[in-house]
Amino acid sequence: MSVTAAVSTGPATGALPLWHAALVLTPAAAAVFFAAVAARASTVASSWRLARAASLTMVVGAVLAVLVRAVTDDRAGMLVRSDSVGVAMLSLVSFIGWVVIRYSRSYLSGDPYEQSYVARLLATVAAVAVVVVANDLIVLVLAWTATSLALHGLLTFFGDRPVAIAVAHKKFILARCADVAMVAAVVAFASTFRTFRIDRIVSGAVVAGSLPTGARVGIALVALAALLKCAQLPFHGWLIQVMEAPTPVSALLHAGVVNLGGFVLLRFSPVVDRATETRALLVIVGTVTAVVAALVMTTRISVKVSLAWSTCAQMGFMLMQCGLGAWEMALLHLLAHSLYKAHAFLGAGGVVRLTQRKQLAMAPVAPTATSVSAAFVVAALTTFGAGWMWGSLPFTEHRSSAFVVLGLIVALAMVPLISVRMKAVGSRVSPKMFAAAIGVPLTYFALHDLFAHIVVGDGSAAPSPLLVLVAAAFVALFLVQAICAIAPSHPLVTRMYPWVYGGLFIDEAFTRVAFAVWAPPPPRSRVAPLPQRAAVAIFARATPQTASVVSPSPQVELLPAWNVA
Amino acid sequence: MKRSANSTVITVSNTEHVNAACARIAPTWPLDQFIAVNPYWGWRTSPAPVAAATLGALGGTALTMPRSYFRGEWAAARLTKDDIEMAAAFMGERSLVDAAMTVLAEATEDSQLPIPRMALVTDVCDRESAPRPGQTWAEVVTHQISQHCAAHFDRWQGSWHPGREVDLFAGWRLQLSASHGVKWRHGASWVREQISCLPEQPDAAITMMLSAMSMPKTGQEAYLTALLLSVNGWAAWCAYERWQARLAGGDDDEIVGLLAIRLAWEWLLQIDGRSKSDEAMWNEWRQSWTGVNELANAISHEQRVDWLLQTATEMGYQSTLISALNKTTDPILEDVPSVQLVFCIDVRSEVIRRALETAAREIQTRGFAGFFGLPIAYSPVGSALKRPQLPGLMAPVFNVTETVAGGADLTGLRNERSAALGNRQRWNSFRSAPSSVFTFVESQGLLYGAKLVKDSLGHAHGPSKWEHDGLTKSSRQGLRPRLGLIDDDPKAAAELAHRVLRGMGLTTGLSPLVVLCGHGGQTMNNPHAAGLDCGACGGQTGEVNARVLADLLNSETVRTHLTELGIVVPFETRFIAGLHNTTTDEIELFDTESLPESHQSDLVRLRERLGAAGQLARSERADSLGLGDISKQPERLKRAVLQRANDWSQVRPEWGLAGNAAFIVAPRQRTRQMDLGGRSFLHDYDWRLDTDLAVLTLIMTAPMVVTNWINMQYHASTVDNRRYGSGNKMLHNVVGGRIGVFEGNGGDLRIGLSIQSLHDGHTLRHPPLRLSVFIEAPREGIDSIIGAHTVVHELVSNAWLNLLRIDPSTGQTERWTSSGWITA
Repeated sequence: MSVTAAVSTGPATGALPLWHAALVLTPAAAAVFFAAVAARASTVASSWRLARAASLTMVVGAVLAVLVRAVTDDRAGMLVRSDSVGVAMLSLVSFIGWVVIRYSRSYLSGDPYEQSYVARLLATVAAVAVVVVANDLIVLVLAWTATSLALHGLLTFFGDRPVAIAVAHKKFILARCADVAMVAAVVAFASTFRTFRIDRIVSGAVVAGSLPTGARVGIALVALAALLKCAQLPFHGWLIQVMEAPTPVSALLHAGVVNLGGFVLLRFSPVVDRATETRALLVIVGTVTAVVAALVMTTRISVKVSLAWSTCAQMGFMLMQCGLGAWEMALLHLLAHSLYKAHAFLGAGGVVRLTQRKQLAMAPVAPTATSVSAAFVVAALTTFGAGWMWGSLPFTEHRSSAFVVLGLIVALAMVPLISVRMKAVGSRVSPKMFAAAIGVPLTYFALHDLFAHIVVGDGSAAPSPLLVLVAAAFVALFLVQAICAIAPSHPLVTRMYPWVYGGLFIDEAFTRVAFAVWAPPPPRSRVAPLPQRAAVAIFARATPQTASVVSPSPQVELLPAWNVA
Repeated sequence: MKRSANSTVITVSNTEHVNAACARIAPTWPLDQFIAVNPYWGWRTSPAPVAAATLGALGGTALTMPRSYFRGEWAAARLTKDDIEMAAAFMGERSLVDAAMTVLAEATEDSQLPIPRMALVTDVCDRESAPRPGQTWAEVVTHQISQHCAAHFDRWQGSWHPGREVDLFAGWRLQLSASHGVKWRHGASWVREQISCLPEQPDAAITMMLSAMSMPKTGQEAYLTALLLSVNGWAAWCAYERWQARLAGGDDDEIVGLLAIRLAWEWLLQIDGRSKSDEAMWNEWRQSWTGVNELANAISHEQRVDWLLQTATEMGYQSTLISALNKTTDPILEDVPSVQLVFCIDVRSEVIRRALETAAREIQTRGFAGFFGLPIAYSPVGSALKRPQLPGLMAPVFNVTETVAGGADLTGLRNERSAALGNRQRWNSFRSAPSSVFTFVESQGLLYGAKLVKDSLGHAHGPSKWEHDGLTKSSRQGLRPRLGLIDDDPKAAAELAHRVLRGMGLTTGLSPLVVLCGHGGQTMNNPHAAGLDCGACGGQTGEVNARVLADLLNSETVRTHLTELGIVVPFETRFIAGLHNTTTDEIELFDTESLPESHQSDLVRLRERLGAAGQLARSERADSLGLGDISKQPERLKRAVLQRANDWSQVRPEWGLAGNAAFIVAPRQRTRQMDLGGRSFLHDYDWRLDTDLAVLTLIMTAPMVVTNWINMQYHASTVDNRRYGSGNKMLHNVVGGRIGVFEGNGGDLRIGLSIQSLHDGHTLRHPPLRLSVFIEAPREGIDSIIGAHTVVHELVSNAWLNLLRIDPSTGQTERWTSSGWITA
């Protein structure tokens, strides 16, 4: 994975013929076309049929794009490109689009604004489908902005809800900041490399040896935009609070939109690898977000908000992997998380059944320091053992030093699989769980090698302070988790709880400042199927203005409902 | 806390007000036992219009539809001048007829004035300044309280909770002291100081704060009630905790803690926002609370027309029923029917019963409460679960677990199961522990692509039984629920069986085959799934109750003791349990393998009939499910209905009890020729067999109350979904794994039904009519029961339901009024 691999994300090996450009744009074009037709369709049912046709065309287009990419090499044209990362993303967004449209059809059924929903949904998916194949920086920036604007229409679908409006506005502010950063990045790159083509910018940066200042500034700005759009601390609040849109919108947002920051960085991976300050930015912000958000997640009490904090953490983890140069893992993380999170949101109503199932099991015995340490030793052995079994030790030359840290994170993750014990079963660890404890890391390493064929950085090692930071942060996260489980009423735990529960109160502070600068618009009115009787507060003791039909108003005696002392 | 000694100085004199306010709040059950509750239960001691006016003054709610709705009913001819005049005469409001006619001619959605309600401190603050642009103090306070309550009561969603050892109020003091979420004018340390001044006991704190705020005594009860209504969802949850504690013989005071928390916000906001110049304004505000009665009176006066229209609409519905009921009854078949099926009184049973009777005339169906009178809790073998299988009004007496035929040792099965469940628990924590989630996603996430495909495509399977999780197919084979009492004390078991058979009116004339048919819904990904199951079984399917009762009544020893008690079950009579799937209209039969050879041909014929009835019922329901175009194609329709039941994106899998409007307590002959449209609860009752009124007393004190709860849940969710319904299903966000839902990001806990359960996007599926109860029995019996039971008297005399009587001899219908029965 050195020189040859680097080339695959570097200059594209071939030019993109027109038919091929058309092919990779088919999903986007289909979505745009059907969105326009669906918005004018005479009935709601026919607009859903059109949406379905759009999603099927998208899936077929994406499959063809993958097949063609499999028999050709990476190709890049003026505006778009066909490469493994791009077509992988194209398949993802088409698939998620298909799932979400299929789901929305009965889910939205009967809503007075169904038809505008269809158009906005297709527009959002179309914009994402352009982002993932764009080779021109301006196209990329425009499509990314269009994604955000189209999504805005979905996030404010319930425009009568003040919270929906406020949160969408918060996102709007941050997204525009990200847009500004991206535009500045375009200027920096274009002035340095005299081109808007991403493949040429990247190859220019690779050829240049040490990175020119313009590129350094440019990539830092791209990273900043990614941090903003991936809802990293302290800009995470909007992602947590957008549960004010229909569930499939959340699924689309969490599976197909919020992760685009990671994708754009993947496009520039060789540039990132050469910009130490950008790597540091990504690793520090990503790690802090991953650790803090994962902890906050454990204190959340509603299923969707818990999922949102989880996304925030997962995006942090992905950006951290970008900073560490573990690009193949970042792509795996992006794709796997999308599928997982889309399912989690769409199936969020099933959490009650899940709780019922959990109620069947006896309460687990609280872990002890000994059991947790023992479990960690076993987990470390199985993880690094699995790495060895897979044919390459983590510290062999084939794996970067980042991989030791990532392996450590896997080992820490395995502990709950091994250490939770049941009253009824005693301390016996079942063979099934042992199989899982070995199977999970094996899967992990296998997937790593698989994805290393799709995308690779140039393997330049992340600076050791960053590696130490990541390792320390995840060990700390593990320790906090362990202490909470072992000694839930320890003063340290109880004193920390309100802070974690409050999400460190970062978003409250951010929102106060942001809305002081730019206040959200007022809610809109919306047709409601059931009566929404208005009430008006009465502040003083006076005869309120009521009687209109019945007159004259006689003085009735005191009501028996109210026994005044 | 340091100054908590203060609480001894302040005399606890507000307990009465506090208790009265708390008693107004009706409980809400958790989602996994989502039974219907009348949210106005705490107001039943007042006439419905008075309660409505008071609730309006305190919370801004209404108990009737907007006037434009009645105008629509008038336009659709479902409401006539006759109905209005009849209602006016009945209510003594003849002078209002003209006003009502004006409303019906002119009312529009915008013409109705908003309901005036008393202002809280949060409202005063909102008039002054917003916490931040686009947000109100009322929202902030509700959100803060709601989040704290959720964290306090959560057991299943989060894994890190605030200290469990403290109560709601104490936990809130700790939480607010450490919170930086709200910007106080006086600063966070000021809040900490203020809170530390509060007594530790919630009721003492309430007393202290009320006197610090100089609330006039006469307004205190109203004020406290209004505060609880402003966090009605969590108040209802606390009321549930109290309800459960009291059923178990204890008590629970978290609701007082909630009240103290809500009051503390008022107290803090008032001081924090107050400057000297405001004193006059605050004084005026305080004084306004002594005038709640006047406000309620004014609202009540204004709403007289609305109640007239409401009553007239109900009378319009009744009149069609009355004319049908007055017709001659179906001739009683003297022969013993070949099969008897006992269904739940649920309105959905009416459709399938009618279909069955159409499919086979010799079949007799009966209506009885779907828990079949068994006060049981169910514990699946080898599990930690123990869930009530009876109405929420009652506490379980017996525990039912599972056995295998022949009574084999189940230790191996228990071990197998706890090992499997333990593995799942490990896997769950691998999926959700903060330091594991990243690796979980990387190693397992791609598999969810396959799950997405599978769940998107759906399937047409029958319901899956999660209660047997962790058991292999072979070990769950032959498991059946059994009441331990049959083996431990057959005599007591026979007494229980005797009570049940008497209640059902099945003491004589038993068929060779008697099917006890419970019911349950089948939905996917539906937080409110339990709401479609049997409410009488505590929001579960009726399977366990039906199987347990069949087993009980088939027991030889129990039958022997039953004979001693005067009920002879013919030797050839066999009871079998069934389950009506209300989503798909399939009926499953259980434990038929133990049926003797002699009954096998009957069983085969029965299955055919059930299949035919299911088809009929489905095609009747097809239109309401949007499947009208295939209603005449049985196989396609069946597949489509099954597909819907398994569709994870389906928000209207079935209509539940929407449309419920009547409860008919009479022999089936009375209604057998009527199409009640799935809107009527049906309870079989033969007054001639009930000489001591024991059965009717039971019906009027239990099933009638339960039907009132269901009816009022639908009513309240329709007329004011924002306060008593759960809003839009598309925004539902389950809290605590089972406690309830938020609509969207947060806000108060939402109780009641979703918009999608009441409205199909084009028309309202539940016209909100108060229940019309028809009882076929002599006057004296009904009167004596009303006189003897306070709750029944309150429901009837305060117009929380309409009580009518069918005269057994003439078939004429009479209406109950406080001054006697009048012809209807």
